[in-house]
Amino acid sequence: MEKSGKVISPRPTGLGIPFVKAGRFFARLALAGVFIFAGAVKIYDPGQFAIEVQRYQLLPWKVCAAIAIYLPWLELLSGFCLFLKSFERGALVLITLLLSIFTFALASALVRGLSIDCGCFGHAFTSTGTVVPILRNLLLLFFAGTLWTKHR
Amino acid sequence: MTPVRQVVLILLVALIPAGVTAVVHPRRPPWSEETLAPGEEKLKTVLTWGSNALWVDARSRRAYEADHVPGALLLNLEEWDSLFPRFLDQWSPERKIVVYCDSKACEMSHEVAARLERSGFSSVYVLKGGWEEWKKAAK
Repeated sequence: MEKSGKVISPRPTGLGIPFVKAGRFFARLALAGVFIFAGAVKIYDPGQFAIEVQRYQLLPWKVCAAIAIYLPWLELLSGFCLFLKSFERGALVLITLLLSIFTFALASALVRGLSIDCGCFGHAFTSTGTVVPILRNLLLLFFAGTLWTKHR
Repeated sequence: MTPVRQVVLILLVALIPAGVTAVVHPRRPPWSEETLAPGEEKLKTVLTWGSNALWVDARSRRAYEADHVPGALLLNLEEWDSLFPRFLDQWSPERKIVVYCDSKACEMSHEVAARLERSGFSSVYVLKGGWEEWKKAAK
């Protein structure tokens, strides 16, 4: 609080605003781009994606198959919805949730010593291991966090 | 619209193309797929790796000399010390090692794969169904 009793706003003012806006725009673009790309490449070959999900050894085959069919579409749709004003918050909830689940699955594979690929982008990127995708997910979660600040 | 409604709507809309995928997609996963044991890989997947796959034949020399996967190196436990240097010459970090033996009943491929992993190699896979599977696919 200032001496006059006026509450200091936590929001940036003056010259800071364009930078914050640009940062949020970049975060939105990065998140949407990654999710749209990840969804699209996995939609091409859900059979292969099911095998990649199974390699995590967390779920039975039928669940892996269902995830391989449904998840890519959910990623694609969430990515697009991030650009729609009326669906932005819903998309952000889903993207944050999905990134958290992916990071947990990757961390569990790392802890169990599984020598597997992330499978995050189907065949587009292979030999990725688990450490780099975890770091990438944390960065994307940070981007999601910057978008959440807009909705406080 | 509240965020909860937005989430529900997105989840429901995604069901529509997913349902179509489950019915008509030519590469959709089968529901009754036999599960892969840890470290195993299907021939269909290995073939997509192309020259990135380094084939290792874990069978006996006699079986290897009779026939083997084109380009495969012989590396079995009986002759490990003499065969390993040749394997090292062919190996490079970006290649995926695919070990096979006679069929899904044999254990030799798993043993050779385990020994390679103990020696510090990563990206080591066992071909599900082994040589039998390869022959079946080649017909």
